[in-house]
Amino acid sequence: MVGGFSILLWIGAVLCWIAYGIQYSNDKSSSLDSVYLGSVLALVVVLTGVFAYYQEAKSTNIMASFRQMIPQQALVIRDSEKKTVPADQLVVGDIVEIKAGDQIPADIRLLSAQGCKVDNSSLTGESEPQPRSCEFTHDNALETKNISFFSTTCLEGTATGMVINTGDRTVIGQIASLASGVQNSKTPIGIEIEHFVHIVAGVAVSIGILFFIITVSMKYYVLDSIIFLIGIIVANVPEGLLATVTVALSLTAKRMAKKNCLVKGLEAVETLGSTSIICSDKTGTLTQNRMTVAHLWFDNQVFVADTSEDHSNQVFDQSSATWASLSKIITLCNRAEFRPGQESVPIMKKAVVGDASETALLKFSEVILGNVMEIRKRNRKVAEIPFNSTNKFQLSIHETDDPSDKRFLVVMKGAPERVLEKCSTIMVNGQEQPLDRSTAKAFHTAYMELGGLGERVLGFCHLYLPADEFPATYSFDVDTMNFPTSNFCFVGLLSMIDPPRSTVPDAVTKCRSAGIKIIMVTGDHPITAKAIAKSVGIISANSETVEDIAKRLNVAVAQVNKRDATAAVVTGMELKDMSPAQLDEILANHSEIVFARTSPQQKLIIVEGCQRQDAIVAVTGDGVNDSPALKKADIGIAMGITGSDAAKSAADMVLLDDNFASIVTGVEEGRLIFDNLKKTIAYTLTKNIAELCPFLIYIIAGLPLPIGTITILFIDLGTDIIPSIALAYEKAESDIMNRKPRHKRKDRLVNEPLAVYSYLHIGLMQALGAFVVYFTVYAQEGFRPSTLLNLRVEWEKGYVNDLEDSYGQEWTSYQRKYLEWTGYTAFFVGIMIQQIADLIIRKTRRNSIFQQGLFRNKVIWVGIASQVIIALILSYGLGSIVALNFTMLRPQYWFVAVPHAVLIWVYDEMRKLAIRLYPGSWWDKNMYY
Amino acid sequence: MAALQEKQSCSQRMEEFRHYCWNPDTGQMLGRTLSRWVWISLYYVAFYVVMTGVFALCLYVLMCTVDPYTPDYQDQLKSPGVTLRPDVYGEKGLDISYNMSDNRTWTELTQALHHFLAGYSPAAQEANINCTSERYFFQESFLAPNHTKFSCKFTADMLQNCSGRPDPTFGFEEGKPCFIIKMNRIVKFLPGNSTAPRVDCAFLDQHREAPALQVEYFPPKGVYSLHFFPYYGRKAQPHYSNPLVAAKLLNAPVNREVVIVCKILAEHVTFDNPHDPYEGKVEFKLKIQK
Repeated sequence: MVGGFSILLWIGAVLCWIAYGIQYSNDKSSSLDSVYLGSVLALVVVLTGVFAYYQEAKSTNIMASFRQMIPQQALVIRDSEKKTVPADQLVVGDIVEIKAGDQIPADIRLLSAQGCKVDNSSLTGESEPQPRSCEFTHDNALETKNISFFSTTCLEGTATGMVINTGDRTVIGQIASLASGVQNSKTPIGIEIEHFVHIVAGVAVSIGILFFIITVSMKYYVLDSIIFLIGIIVANVPEGLLATVTVALSLTAKRMAKKNCLVKGLEAVETLGSTSIICSDKTGTLTQNRMTVAHLWFDNQVFVADTSEDHSNQVFDQSSATWASLSKIITLCNRAEFRPGQESVPIMKKAVVGDASETALLKFSEVILGNVMEIRKRNRKVAEIPFNSTNKFQLSIHETDDPSDKRFLVVMKGAPERVLEKCSTIMVNGQEQPLDRSTAKAFHTAYMELGGLGERVLGFCHLYLPADEFPATYSFDVDTMNFPTSNFCFVGLLSMIDPPRSTVPDAVTKCRSAGIKIIMVTGDHPITAKAIAKSVGIISANSETVEDIAKRLNVAVAQVNKRDATAAVVTGMELKDMSPAQLDEILANHSEIVFARTSPQQKLIIVEGCQRQDAIVAVTGDGVNDSPALKKADIGIAMGITGSDAAKSAADMVLLDDNFASIVTGVEEGRLIFDNLKKTIAYTLTKNIAELCPFLIYIIAGLPLPIGTITILFIDLGTDIIPSIALAYEKAESDIMNRKPRHKRKDRLVNEPLAVYSYLHIGLMQALGAFVVYFTVYAQEGFRPSTLLNLRVEWEKGYVNDLEDSYGQEWTSYQRKYLEWTGYTAFFVGIMIQQIADLIIRKTRRNSIFQQGLFRNKVIWVGIASQVIIALILSYGLGSIVALNFTMLRPQYWFVAVPHAVLIWVYDEMRKLAIRLYPGSWWDKNMYY
Repeated sequence: MAALQEKQSCSQRMEEFRHYCWNPDTGQMLGRTLSRWVWISLYYVAFYVVMTGVFALCLYVLMCTVDPYTPDYQDQLKSPGVTLRPDVYGEKGLDISYNMSDNRTWTELTQALHHFLAGYSPAAQEANINCTSERYFFQESFLAPNHTKFSCKFTADMLQNCSGRPDPTFGFEEGKPCFIIKMNRIVKFLPGNSTAPRVDCAFLDQHREAPALQVEYFPPKGVYSLHFFPYYGRKAQPHYSNPLVAAKLLNAPVNREVVIVCKILAEHVTFDNPHDPYEGKVEFKLKIQK
């Protein structure tokens, strides 16, 4: 309600009241017109402000519904009693107990732990569960094993810990305060609107002051000069525009929300459109944040598994007998189980009890083999050794499902090198072969290859125990290991990864073609990060990092010319030692960059670095660790499903379906709204000249006032509102996803050609057209244009009741006043008719209207209908209400401006034609806005 | 959201502005080179010449379609306005007050009347003809010289006692002032069917017991002769002058402000428009002091 146009309108309102004050002190009976006008102006400001606030509040409300305020509970031992207390009542020194599924209620140091694993992904971006124990392993609190952090989740096991930090002093709390310390500043569209307001205000103020000086030097009364000044301000300020822009933005926001992009601040709608760099988190944003089987290796061959979200398309060769054995091991050597009662849930969505790898294996086998539980039942488990970090393998012994085969089957999985140690044979095509050097080498190659893809590799082997040594009644003892644990038969390798979301590669390609650079910023390991970057196309197939080139050329990394590498993988450790200049160099010289092992602070530094490149930066993320960067970014995009509350509240946009591809939608909508806002503003600015000229002519040539300030307000806030909103529905003129993002300093919303073309070309034509209507009305009523010149002073004298017109007829003051209002109405109708033409030409900026289609945007026609209907109501419905200065206009006057409207259309078509014919020419530069 | 605009110091801004005004590298002034400025100016000159031409054409066509003798519409001129001489305006409309014994207070008023009646001297009315028909003076064709129509003569002496000739003080000195009531011209306006329009002056708030306003009208009965109607417009009747009626108030109260309304009584003249106080009537405050 302050700043920009509002200030101008406040000034106008205050001037009105001052003018009334002067009038009143001179003449107690002076009319209240100025007071009304001032109040209307003030009302406009207030209503616009309330409206904008309402729109903002509406989209913020949607956000509020997201926050699930379930108070967190903690199990704490106090006074040697276990009590459940709200997490916010914990104090340092409390002993808390944690079990699988709990959220850690504070930063705690573990005192005891049984198989405890935590999910730190929201904090560090590591997608794998992190084991926790009581041992102190690292100086860095984030790395050491005996600290668990507030708001992370315990996935399995139990633990007891002592609270060491609570609330804001926790690691999460510090990140949150880092995020809140980041200043919110203006959105790109906010800056553009401000720039535009400056232009319009500059024009208004300079014309206003210029004419104030002119009127004073022409010896007008100061009071009159003030009234002229008010008229000029009101004519120049597009009162309805800010409301229109708000509506246009909220329409787009609504459209985006339908496509699962929820925008929190309206202005952020456009930001994505001007984004030139997207810094994306990996885990949960680019990836699904769940381990999935990606590759298999058996029969000396690598097979690729389907890692898409539904796993539906497993096409690798399943005919080999080796696969039959491997699948049996995968199924049996697995402790994970589906939770009961999920029969109708698709396999990939079923909840599982078990760790991430086992879950992946369970789902993988369930998809391929069918009912895993049934298979396990048929192969009854008789003994098992669970996985532990010293053994690094897991083993179980089963009866077979073949009734004739009484042997026991021992199945084992674990770290490939440990598994291989225990093997003496290898299965190839279902046949056991001795494990010789060449097969061992093949194994190592495969292991390295899969490991190099950033995948976690597991080895699988089995052994059939001879039935004579181990009869059906044999009692296995896992503690004494009364069964062989060597000379197994190696069956295969299986590797798992947190795979990219299936929509991501396509979205990355689209962003690329839209000229947007995508940078991956993750807390995860560089190898994994690079692998994912390659698989989604952030590092394209044929580009290399410095290390890749060094490896290919077999030279030291230092010898490689850094400029040759298009891609770069930078770790947090390297980043720590870099100066801002070095970071700038990396950002500028490499088109494909992956930052790995980064801390939340470093993410912030990277975003700042990008912003130093004059880029508009979008950051996508889901974790708490992303929230400072989300806030720092020009637009922060959080994931709606997997995203943490901290990320969502720091972000400007939430992807409700976690679909990275929605970003592409956002970019498209953002660019479209930017283009359409240009059209809206061009449309709105045009008539300002047609509203301003009457005042200038009135002052200079002394014509009776062609249009009143109230009438102007009826155009700005009446007939023009719906049409200018309708332009927001306009379709794109060309493929907006194939052009570069706009340059934030060069591609302005309101540039010189737009202002000049609107003001000095179309606006002027409109003013002339409206004047023709005005002169027609006056001439046909008795006042020819020649008589009107310099008639103003006599015309406005209330006591001259026998003013002669061109025919010698004498007019009383009221009769003239009524004619003046008819003139207002005529001028109003003239502008309105030409605004219809203006609306149609503004549909496109380059293409012909006929290329764009006159009828594709139906809302435009709603707008035109609204214009005409409002004008008809004002003229005929309210003709008798004198206060509004509208009179019944003879029907034919509605058509006087039509030739001018056609002329405007023809002129603009010629402009567009020349632009299309001579791109880059002088004309194009001066006329394309 | 991050800061997009770095703060610039004032000197930087000035430097930028100077660079914009004159860029020595590209030879650009205000963003354009000289030749570009010439080109764009030429374009604008051409554009505005064409637009002015279009506008002039529109006005020319408009003037061609407008009848030179009769306006196309008289939407506002259904009923003529009425004015009063002398015309001195106060805060709310006509306000005439003077002191009988102080001739400085009324010389201005009589001067205004003399000035107004100068247009009705025999010399000024020479081009007009004498009319006596007392009926509408319809003229279909242009019989008068220079392709015009005849206008009837109205000379000041038709106002007799209020003509200023025998009594140059128009009765102001003796407290029986003359007021001249003029009806506005409207092209082809006929005030009534056959009876001549007549002026009728009275107090605005006439109490029953109070004495009614006594008025002597000149010409007698306060009529506007029908032969002054209809008016054919300035082009057809360049010398036309409005008929006048003078009202001499015989019993205007002294030392008391009164409001007097003079209405025109005719079939086609209305005086009940709530918005227009001068339509078909004229009101004025009068205060005569002694």
